Amino acid sequence: MAEEFEPKIVAFLCKWCSSAGSDLAGVSRMEYPPNVVPIQVMCSGSVSPLYVLSAFNKGADGVLVSGCHPGDCHYIKGNFYARRRIALVKRLLEFIGLEPQRFQMSWVSAAEGTKYTQIIKDFVQELKPLGPQTKLRRDL
Amino acid sequence: MVNLEDLKKEAKTVLEEGKVKYIIGYEKSANGLMPVPGFIKNPEEVEKLIWTPACVYNLTKFLVDEKRRKSKEKKPDERPVGLVVKGCDSRALVVLLQEKFISREDVYIIGVSCEEMGVIDEKKLAKKLKGKKAEKIEFDEKDNFIVTTQEGKVKVAASEVLAERCLECKANTPVIYDVLLGEKVQRSVDNPFQSLEKIESLPEEERWKFWKEQLSKCIRCYACRSVCPMCYCDECAENKVAGEIAR
Repeated sequence: MAEEFEPKIVAFLCKWCSSAGSDLAGVSRMEYPPNVVPIQVMCSGSVSPLYVLSAFNKGADGVLVSGCHPGDCHYIKGNFYARRRIALVKRLLEFIGLEPQRFQMSWVSAAEGTKYTQIIKDFVQELKPLGPQTKLRRDL
Repeated sequence: MVNLEDLKKEAKTVLEEGKVKYIIGYEKSANGLMPVPGFIKNPEEVEKLIWTPACVYNLTKFLVDEKRRKSKEKKPDERPVGLVVKGCDSRALVVLLQEKFISREDVYIIGVSCEEMGVIDEKKLAKKLKGKKAEKIEFDEKDNFIVTTQEGKVKVAASEVLAERCLECKANTPVIYDVLLGEKVQRSVDNPFQSLEKIESLPEEERWKFWKEQLSKCIRCYACRSVCPMCYCDECAENKVAGEIAR
């Protein structure tokens, strides 16, 4: 029997909210798909478009950028910068013909472990029918 | 229509008054048809300046070089640089000003209006002339260009040889200038984003195919970096990424 495709997701989580949120999901022993590779960044605003493209280039099937809720940023307005920048990257990726579901952004606070697991579950479900991402991946 | 004599006169006046350090404009090249950027330092040299439909290049990029050169000088000449800009080039200049890369006092803008015309597409012209080599191209009255080939003069309709971007251009008059040559005409364009909408309406796979084809031309010569006025960082993030991929 052929194995089901398991997407690989790279998640850029901000240190103060989303990362703590994922941590909460972990220590509370909530179950969620193991397809995600979390990368802690100091702020979602520090995620450069190059990080995202680089993740796709190295074979990620999906990329998630997650930060604090708007207005709750530890650095006051970092996630507002992120929101603008990420929206631009999302539109760029769509314009060049990448499936829009492959790149997502979410807001997860430190107390929202359940929300984090739900986001990952949904993301994996969305990516499964798409199959592996080959467009932006470099030839190995 | 922009009168070349007016352009020369304006250039001569500002150079004689010492208002500008030098003027960046278009000069005749050895090839004949396509011009080269010209740096006019003395009032006597203004005769070299030209203005033809083949003045395609955006000269704004030279301000980036100028800024770098100036930063290295011990006693820099604080006078502005004269720059010949078309409507489209002026928008590049505006972005540089907005990003505070250059300040408004550092540039004396000589705006030239394309009016109802624009600049040519070299490939389209070559196709139109069917192998004959164009030596000179001039504006003519009413939407025509006069092309001089070895076999004499030919009249070519502007709409046939204009660059694609000029066909849907709304910025035919510079948006920012110190002195404007030519007339301020609002061009009537029904839809300025036709070619963009065409790509956006394609399905995902087609869009990807389109871009793949476009990027297949890339030989990583970095000419795009040297030609785009928005590419002015001293250290380039692309270098690192390119190194990683090439590894």
